Amino acid sequence: MNNILCVNWGNKYGREYVEKLKQQCEENCSVPFNFYCLTDNPTEPYDIPIPTTWDSHENGKFWAYRKLYMFKESQLGITGKNFLYLDLDVIIHQDLKYFFELPMEKPWIVRGWWNDIEVCKKNFSKFKSTPINSSIIRWNSNQLIEAYNHIEKNIDTIFFTYPTIDNYLNHFFYDMYGDKSLFNVFPVGDVYSWYKGNVFPDDMEAKKIRKECKVCLFNNSGETNDVEELKSLWNI
Amino acid sequence: MEYLKFTPELANDWKNALSSSEPYVFKRVMDSMNQSQLESKLWIIQELIKLGVKPKRVAILAGWFAQYIVPLLYDNFESVEWVENFEIDQDVKRLSYKFNKRLKEDKKYRTLITNVMFDRIQSGMDTIINCACEHMYPMWKFRELNETFQKNPLYILQSSNDEQHEDHINCVNSEEELIDQARIKDVIYSGSKILSNKSTRFMVIGR
Repeated sequence: MNNILCVNWGNKYGREYVEKLKQQCEENCSVPFNFYCLTDNPTEPYDIPIPTTWDSHENGKFWAYRKLYMFKESQLGITGKNFLYLDLDVIIHQDLKYFFELPMEKPWIVRGWWNDIEVCKKNFSKFKSTPINSSIIRWNSNQLIEAYNHIEKNIDTIFFTYPTIDNYLNHFFYDMYGDKSLFNVFPVGDVYSWYKGNVFPDDMEAKKIRKECKVCLFNNSGETNDVEELKSLWNI
Repeated sequence: MEYLKFTPELANDWKNALSSSEPYVFKRVMDSMNQSQLESKLWIIQELIKLGVKPKRVAILAGWFAQYIVPLLYDNFESVEWVENFEIDQDVKRLSYKFNKRLKEDKKYRTLITNVMFDRIQSGMDTIINCACEHMYPMWKFRELNETFQKNPLYILQSSNDEQHEDHINCVNSEEELIDQARIKDVIYSGSKILSNKSTRFMVIGR
């Protein structure tokens, strides 16, 4: 069975974002799937209480790491082999079947093709400008348990050192210089960024809808009005 | 020691390193060669000489391009046999080898891509230098990872109170704080110095 997951923790995004994502999946996925939301406020049948085992390590940076509980699917009580994670702030343009039909010798993650790779390399040890983005992840059960166990083993060091999940994954499970990555990356043109563009350096116009791509991300620098901007685009 | 010996061999290696640096790496190279960088490395050498330390096998943690510290060690201590730089940055490795080509070819220097807070380093190091403590998790973690593989090495640690850089994730405000973070029990030197960039640098030497 195909599973589509999202995470809604805290109060940045209201329930309407989960409902909208679920609706988008139902309208844009031609293969059967179950929809789940990992949340600290479970109210709907599709909600799964988000685990709390890492909460005691909260240090001000930890909140976003909650997403990675899903890397150990067995603790979520979800059956099935195929997993697709989507951030709440995405707009789906094309059939999600594509993601479930990818070859799965490795899990898949977004490569921000809008990034200048030289900037990413330059900033590697500064813990910023990561080439990968965890807004969409496709994996089969157990493929990401290595990352989950790595966090469990080094939890305080990781939460202290890496300000974002993307930064952490970039340092340990992605190889900008070669082919030693745990992840495959979605090809150029699959996923673009509303705020940053599509492909560096030639297709970088921000705030432009690209329906030929499969999904639009709203990855931003945490500005307060970004959720409202996304809402305004829900009905395009 | 108040200077670095700018020998013809060193000049040749540095010229080749600087001329082969990709544009996106060049600013980092320049940052690694500023006045404060040299001041802090000379400080290490001065104090080790005063203390009569004779390092043999030296591990440098997060040593960046290591173009100052490696020649300073070899030029000032006849006892030094091997220097190894443990870095996370792939771009650093190639350029560090250019800067230190003469020593690499003599099999006296190596850079390994290693995150020292997650993976232990080679065994048998008697001296461990970390001039980048402000960039990483507290040093007790490194000691814990390596304690069964090193024979009570001498630690030379530097950190900073300069919080203006976002990659300075672990600044300290005193040498005592650095001692606590590294759980140094036998302190043979501790001090602070205001560098030319106006930040205060702290140094602790001990086991």
